[in-house]
Amino acid sequence: MIRRSGPRSEPVEPAESFAAVRDALLSRRRFLIQSAGGTIALLFGLRSVGAAEDPDPWPTLDAVLRHLLPSEPDSPGAEEIHALDYLRFVVGDQKVSAEDRQFIVQGSQWLNQLSQQTYARAFVDLDDASRELLLRRTAASAAGENWLSTLLSYLFEALLTAPAYGGNPNGIGWRWLSYVPGFPLPGPGTRYPELPL
Amino acid sequence: MSRDFDVCVIGSGAGGGPVAYRLAEAGYSVVVLEKGPWLREQHFTKDELACCRRAVYTPELRDEQHVIEQADDATGWQSTPTQASGWSFWNGNCVGGSSNFMSGYFHRLKPVDFKLRSTFGPIAGANVVDWPIEYADLEPYYDRVERLVGVSGKADTHANSEPRSSSDFPFPPTLEHPISARIDQAAAQLGFHALRVPRAILSQPAMGRRGCEYSGFCGSFGCSSGAKGSSRAALLDHAVASGRCEIRAHAKVYRIASDARGRISSVDYFDHDGQSHRVDAQIYVVACQAIESSRLLLASVGPRFPDGLANNHAQVGRNLLFSGGGAGSGDLVFEDHDEAATAAMRVVGPFVNRALDDWYTLDDPQLGRAKGGIIEFLWDHPNAVVRAENAKWRDGELVWGKPLKRRLEAWFRTDRTLNFEVFNDWLPNDDCFVALDGQVRDRWDSPVARVRIGAHPQDQRVGRFLADKGELLLRQLGARRVASSVGPAPPANLQAGGCRFGSAAEDAVLDADCRAHEVENLFVSDGSFMPTGGSVPYTFTIYANSFRVADRIVAQLGGPRGSA
Repeated sequence: MIRRSGPRSEPVEPAESFAAVRDALLSRRRFLIQSAGGTIALLFGLRSVGAAEDPDPWPTLDAVLRHLLPSEPDSPGAEEIHALDYLRFVVGDQKVSAEDRQFIVQGSQWLNQLSQQTYARAFVDLDDASRELLLRRTAASAAGENWLSTLLSYLFEALLTAPAYGGNPNGIGWRWLSYVPGFPLPGPGTRYPELPL
Repeated sequence: MSRDFDVCVIGSGAGGGPVAYRLAEAGYSVVVLEKGPWLREQHFTKDELACCRRAVYTPELRDEQHVIEQADDATGWQSTPTQASGWSFWNGNCVGGSSNFMSGYFHRLKPVDFKLRSTFGPIAGANVVDWPIEYADLEPYYDRVERLVGVSGKADTHANSEPRSSSDFPFPPTLEHPISARIDQAAAQLGFHALRVPRAILSQPAMGRRGCEYSGFCGSFGCSSGAKGSSRAALLDHAVASGRCEIRAHAKVYRIASDARGRISSVDYFDHDGQSHRVDAQIYVVACQAIESSRLLLASVGPRFPDGLANNHAQVGRNLLFSGGGAGSGDLVFEDHDEAATAAMRVVGPFVNRALDDWYTLDDPQLGRAKGGIIEFLWDHPNAVVRAENAKWRDGELVWGKPLKRRLEAWFRTDRTLNFEVFNDWLPNDDCFVALDGQVRDRWDSPVARVRIGAHPQDQRVGRFLADKGELLLRQLGARRVASSVGPAPPANLQAGGCRFGSAAEDAVLDADCRAHEVENLFVSDGSFMPTGGSVPYTFTIYANSFRVADRIVAQLGGPRGSA
């Protein structure tokens, strides 16, 4: 890649028109900024927004991650790649925008409210088929799709970035996909939060 | 009157490094002010998060951003702050600048690039002019860069080869990937002429730097061996070792002060803690990369410069350039090839190093006689996460679960993607320029740059012509899913212009030596000087011109000092 044509973190093909470029760039961020105020919970598919907050979002997030990247005998899933540990690193990382970090946690709360409204049970208590139906319904809303897309991006990071960040233990993700990483890899002292910036 | 330093250089990238190196070598004291931190080889790893997914080597957009004006059919020009879009126009803010993260494709400009106007005539809607210097004026400096920065290659005889004063490159070519020979073969079958690409990467240890270790992770990454010819590794480390060059990292220059006579009197910068400092020198050199250099001059008003330093003819920021062209790709599917060929394709590390410049100038039924460009071939960028990201969408819907896993397996294991990138001129025009934004400010309360990025339609016509040739070569290689895209969006990392050089102050900020027409102790030594950009990546030419400017500064100061 000599030419750098798009925003960080998101693959962008050179677009045929300015409008396409702008729309591609703006859609995700606009949702993130609006979601910081919690005003788009209704767009998430909720009939109404509950007042009570989920005290611990991590069991729900864990269940969603395991559903998005399931474990199989011959290939790792969210559990084997330590996706939850990695997501904890992300949510505590100052280099990830506050909006993005808040959105991850807030989305799990909305999902649980949707689960209660639909099945009168928490997401973690649903069977696999009900989880799939609920997540598909979530993905049908613009904000819900955005939230799931965000989680998938961090799953890919847990799967394919250096083990020093908490995911991809012993390169399990690289081995699965026959991917050859570059060396030297970051380790203690050279992880980006530790650089003398 | 006593000054802190002989020369003050603002910016430490490819524009600043040669000036610091040459002036220190000639016996003068130099201070280099760099906004970012001073990272060294041991800090650079092959870390996709650091290089490409977090703002580690560049500012956070909430702290420092740009406002981009894009053409809009309905409303004319639409402004978008980059914090909202995420489209960063920063390219590397640390000692050595974006040269730390370049790929090091080092093509020289060709003689025709210095005289586009007289060769091809005017183009309606484009401000094409000849350069005030010729290729022969810059050639000795290209040669110097090849030796001092370290360029590895082999000078093949070629129909479009530019003249060289040295018979060959100072370092042998970097190791080449098995695909390179197949590209040569495919090109020959099509009647094209594949060119071996010189790289600013040491193929063997030299000048206190290690040779390339062939990690396969080069462009976008800082170099951990020192082989890549960044301004930091190749020039600034040596300048500092001379004892006459001081680098101040975390020094964000926010104003260049000028006196009643119109000369620069000092420079003000903020340090890491937000404290303001002042430094003065005999000569000042601005090299912040094109957009930021124009921004700094525009922000630096003084008694003789109410509209910005060196801007009394309203030229600063005009005729900003990017690079025209686009990109294409094709998948080399392993099952289409035998075991040996597949094993060869999987090799990671050596470089492709092949380009086509058969169409550097065109004489085509549709396009007429016109300037063309080059086509560069390279493997798909090795970053893994960005590749996986593409797999999560199918027909506009998210994919997850086992279907996503099967998709990842197919995308990572069954083929390898060969890309090409097209480089052609970004024609200078009145809708591509830098101004100061009236509302958005950076974290030091300075107005940010507002950048209009209008492109001339000729750029896309030429880009499409070249991309079609690139597709032909990929098909000849047996690639599947061959496609390309040429559009008006600029590559944010390929910037030049904004302070073009020329003989008259009425239409050029700089004179032929890159000294400001209006300010006798101001030079601009980054890519800002270029009135037209040529059809290759800019770094080699920025380096070469900066060495040329450095010689002019040494002359203005009275020649080399003492035994230097």
